[in-house]
Amino acid sequence: MDITVQEFWQGLINGLALGWIYILMALGLTLIFGIMRIMQFAHGEIYMLGAYTVYYLTVTLKLPLFLATCLGMLFIGILGLILERFLFRPVKEDWLSAVVAAVGLTLILQSGAIAMFGLHHRNLPVLAEGPFNIMGNIFVPKDRIVAVVVAVFLSLILYLFLKATKYGQAMVASAQDPDGAILQGIGPNRMSALSMAIGCALAAAGGVLAGSMFQMGPFMGILSLVKGLLIIVIGGLGSLPGAIIAGMSLGIIDGLFPILFGHAWASLSPLFFVIMILVIKPQGIFGHE
Amino acid sequence: MNREGMFKILGSIGAILFAIAVPLLLASTYWTSVFTSIAINSLMVVSLRIILTVGEFSLGHVGFMCLGAYTSALLTMKAGLPFGVTLPAAGLFAGLVAFGLGYPFMRVKGIYFAILTLVTSESIRLLAFNWRGLTGGLDGLIGFPGAGVLSIPGLVQLDFNRFTEYYYLTLAVTLVSLFILYRLEKSRLGFTWLAIRDADKMAGAVGVNVLRYKVIAFSIASFFAGIGGALFAHFERALGPHPTATFGVMTTIYLLIYMVVGGKSRFSGPILGAVVLSLVYEFARPVEEYQPMIIGAIGILVVMTIPEGLIGIPERFKKWQAKQIE
Repeated sequence: MDITVQEFWQGLINGLALGWIYILMALGLTLIFGIMRIMQFAHGEIYMLGAYTVYYLTVTLKLPLFLATCLGMLFIGILGLILERFLFRPVKEDWLSAVVAAVGLTLILQSGAIAMFGLHHRNLPVLAEGPFNIMGNIFVPKDRIVAVVVAVFLSLILYLFLKATKYGQAMVASAQDPDGAILQGIGPNRMSALSMAIGCALAAAGGVLAGSMFQMGPFMGILSLVKGLLIIVIGGLGSLPGAIIAGMSLGIIDGLFPILFGHAWASLSPLFFVIMILVIKPQGIFGHE
Repeated sequence: MNREGMFKILGSIGAILFAIAVPLLLASTYWTSVFTSIAINSLMVVSLRIILTVGEFSLGHVGFMCLGAYTSALLTMKAGLPFGVTLPAAGLFAGLVAFGLGYPFMRVKGIYFAILTLVTSESIRLLAFNWRGLTGGLDGLIGFPGAGVLSIPGLVQLDFNRFTEYYYLTLAVTLVSLFILYRLEKSRLGFTWLAIRDADKMAGAVGVNVLRYKVIAFSIASFFAGIGGALFAHFERALGPHPTATFGVMTTIYLLIYMVVGGKSRFSGPILGAVVLSLVYEFARPVEEYQPMIIGAIGILVVMTIPEGLIGIPERFKKWQAKQIE
């Protein structure tokens, strides 16, 4: 199949933008899993809710997209606090119960979204108008670039928060050794609440980016959730560079493989990719035992 | 034989008799088809639990059901094979794929394994979605033959294309499968699985090939998922890879909730969960868009109040009674 240079770059940039959305998902999932030991399978629905919250803020209340996104992240962060306190804290002890609580939440949020928002697809306002010129005569949509910049910026903030602030260091400590952290006066419940709030806010941001570049609908969360989970397996749990490399690879696979090899092979390639990584290094690219 | 054992046998015989009598008692095509899907769900959930007996859980069981369904449908449609051949073929194909994937997947544990199975089932669904030439893409497969007619000259003539006959066929396949799974769990193989679940390093130290036994459990579970898929295919007579249809993530979630709500520690727990929740799902049909919400809410409620599942209620009741007497 012949593709032009233009199509190639377009696919690549699309893939990168997708990849960074997946990375935002994976960062939230890792943060929550690292501290609460719960895999938040409803994270995709949080992401979808984030997109819809911002949709109503921009379309109904006519707020500018930037302000609406900040407010949306705040609201979804608060939702995360509520979910942690009343849903996940009581079931934290038994891992299978926690999984059922998370998937039960998925069902509730998803059918709630269908009932409230309807099945038809909507679009958020675009992030930026017009094409962007790279290397003289090749044009890519500008909003893809803005999306990547926003996602990189959010990841950087998270990194600085975890490395350089008191609360961030407390979270790292709690993830590494919960009992040791308790002895230092770091309460596990407070850290869990914080991780849920931050994780959900990041998912909401990802949802907004996706909703503005692509379509949004009640089922938009599943694919990103699967990709976010896959990034954790490929990159190694709790590794930021691993997540970034895995996320960008998956994004590029999603952006380029369908135009290079056709859709059928492209849909199997993430699976082949993860099997290859597992055979070479079962704990992920940057993972530890 | 002790009282508990008697109770168990009588209970299973009663349940089987009830299942046989269902089409006669309710005498409606609608309820017969509801019970057909309950039988398929029971088979799916019980086979899902087999993976749990080695201490892992799968979020991709529906992917193997999808493989089985498409295998059987395509074999009857393109190769013209009878259902009696395609049913085991569907199971074998799903089992073989699981066997191949099992070796890389079982190198990781717990949540990682669950994620990998979830990715597998979504990849299989997307393959069915995108491989238009073979699977019909988004339009799906329609118009493949039903289960066909079994005729023994001079004795019986069973037309499995009809609802009631197909219900009995499904029930028979499910019961035989459940019996096999039950015997497997009580065999040496089953005890090895439990040993791996409780202490995998210890099992490895006494000479059990942990990886191989885990892969065997995964393959057997997927074999029966493939059988369930084939039964489903010729029951619905239409297959589609849409994310909200049967082969999407939702079904995986339902199966997991059925298993845990029924009770994962006993063989009969998942069956109880599948029957009770499938009936709840049916009775909620007037409020169709809230069906998943109801199932989700029941799942959350059960894990918060009785984490051992519905099957644990009699035990709780006994304890409570003993306390009252004191």
